[in-house]
Amino acid sequence: MLLTQIALNALALGSAYALVAIGFVLVLNATTAVNFAHGEGVVAGGFAAVALAILLPPDIPIPGLLLLPGVLLVTALLGLAIGALAYLPIRKRPPISVFVSTIAVGIIIANGLNATFGAAPRTAPPLIGVGTIEFLGASLSRQSLAIIGITAVLMSGLAMVLQRTQLGRQFRACAQDPEMARALGIRLTRITMISFALGTAFAGAAGLLLAHQFFISPSDGGTLILKAYIAVVIGGWGSLRGAAAGAMLIAFFEVGVATFSSQPLAEGLLYIAVLLVLFFRPQGLFGEPQQVRV
Amino acid sequence: MRTLPRLVITFATGMAAILSLVTTSHAEPLRVPVLVPITGFLSLEGTSQKNGAELALVGTDVSFSVIDTATAPEIAINAFERAVDASDVVSVIAPMLGTQMLALVPLADEFGIPLITVSGTAKITELGSPNVYRFFPGDAVVKAAQARYAVEELDASRPAIISQTTAYGQSGRAALEANLRRIGTPPVFQESMDVSVKDMLPVLLKVRDSGADALLLQLHSGPTALVIRHAKALGLDIPIIAGSAMHQPETAALLEPAELKGVCAESGSSPVSETSEEMQAFVDAYRRSFDREPDAFALGQYDGAQMILAAIAAGAQTADAVRSHLQTARHEGLAMTYKSDGKGNMAHSAVIICYDGTGRVPQIVKRYENLTGVLLD
Repeated sequence: MLLTQIALNALALGSAYALVAIGFVLVLNATTAVNFAHGEGVVAGGFAAVALAILLPPDIPIPGLLLLPGVLLVTALLGLAIGALAYLPIRKRPPISVFVSTIAVGIIIANGLNATFGAAPRTAPPLIGVGTIEFLGASLSRQSLAIIGITAVLMSGLAMVLQRTQLGRQFRACAQDPEMARALGIRLTRITMISFALGTAFAGAAGLLLAHQFFISPSDGGTLILKAYIAVVIGGWGSLRGAAAGAMLIAFFEVGVATFSSQPLAEGLLYIAVLLVLFFRPQGLFGEPQQVRV
Repeated sequence: MRTLPRLVITFATGMAAILSLVTTSHAEPLRVPVLVPITGFLSLEGTSQKNGAELALVGTDVSFSVIDTATAPEIAINAFERAVDASDVVSVIAPMLGTQMLALVPLADEFGIPLITVSGTAKITELGSPNVYRFFPGDAVVKAAQARYAVEELDASRPAIISQTTAYGQSGRAALEANLRRIGTPPVFQESMDVSVKDMLPVLLKVRDSGADALLLQLHSGPTALVIRHAKALGLDIPIIAGSAMHQPETAALLEPAELKGVCAESGSSPVSETSEEMQAFVDAYRRSFDREPDAFALGQYDGAQMILAAIAAGAQTADAVRSHLQTARHEGLAMTYKSDGKGNMAHSAVIICYDGTGRVPQIVKRYENLTGVLLD
């Protein structure tokens, strides 16, 4: 029963991290540049949920779930803005320019949220109510189950778009060989902007999922981008499946390993695992489609 | 013809005298720069600190400007060096982040500028500096109150401690452990964690398995609320006595009243819980100015800034004179009576607040006055 609860918590946390990491990879694959404002996209999603929650009538049983479309829309627009301001004008400059510009935009977003909402951590409405469900003798948190369920739906939707639509094929073509994709008539700028919108919307969804159970504050972006970065390094630079697996591994260390050791030790062991991956399998667990390590 | 040079000299001398008088009458106001962390993980507490200082200084003859120190020591150092680059600085409102204070103390000694802070980190007043003045009870006071309340009032005999890995967390943890050992109830379990930890289930399971009968926290705002929420969800039914972060209205706002039931916390004060007229006036003014509820950090910093103003009103026009006032004077503040213990610890009393589960405004259930004995001198 205890193991079930630990596994569920790890899966729920890993699911939210996976959305962050996948959004990070979507932008990475379209631009080969790291979007360091991605963590602030997560934070913006959480605060969008906090702001939109006042529009909901009271006593709705699934308030967080109803907020999801609005949060996706707001953060997709934010992604477009990040792409337009921090990437497009300097895309032909060295990658370091994009790092700096996205870091700058991230700081502006964080400080803007700080000025608008205040510095205090905030909590968003629960996704499908609070409390637990008894299942096979274990108490399973409704919120955790909802996080896992919503993540599964969003990831399935993304897989369907990437595998079965023309847009998805264009995405993959740009990720594999942008110059060839351009030669074939694919509008790279359009794909790039869509990737910023989609990637940041995934980050925003993660923000909504995290904001009730784990709270959200304007300064959380730095920690979240670090987790996404580590997940992608572990899983394989540019691999969507790898990013999800890496995120799950981080959550396994944070919840599973920490239960049987201590939090500082679990964190140390996680970074040792990252080093081992870098030493013995530098392309990551799922290979490295990007082949351009930043 | 010989009179012309005399006239010129006389005129020039007269003009110089007049200009000298004008310059004297338009002397620059004394300055008290406000250096506080209003971004980063301590921004909630830092904003309270800023607001408290601002409320005291606005409308006075003292000039001040607010500089954000974020969370890095080097940013605080840079801010300090910019702020004190003038001869009319008599004191600096210094960041409450312990690591920043530790970096600033040598600089304050070099420039001879007294630092006024609400940092709880014990070590800042143990460096032998004459320039550190803390207007929030340090760990030696509040951790004594927290430990004593758990043991003497709640009959805890097997306490557990969860703390943060930051300087604030470790300083408080050490003081808490020392106080628990002093009263014969050493902790049966303790663990520290990073501020970024999201899931508290692992550490709470270990608390439960340790057989602890009370949980003492030394965490920042968000982690404090997370531990309480996850403990309630886990069904961990033991008293929780949190650190100062729990008294902040913003922390309570993260939790439902039912989740807060039975939760207690130590603090220097709890402005929203007090009913005196003076405190109500402070609370009302604070709400009007900042559209939020005041906490003990805001009140402590307000009292600290008021003591600087009192020093100036008593004739102190230089940093040395303000320091001298801080070292020797007794100040009746809103939260408590302040007096230096010789090391710059000005606050010597603490309160314990508890939530009854019906709302988010706590009640003061216990006052620990003059725990250091300094006020008897």
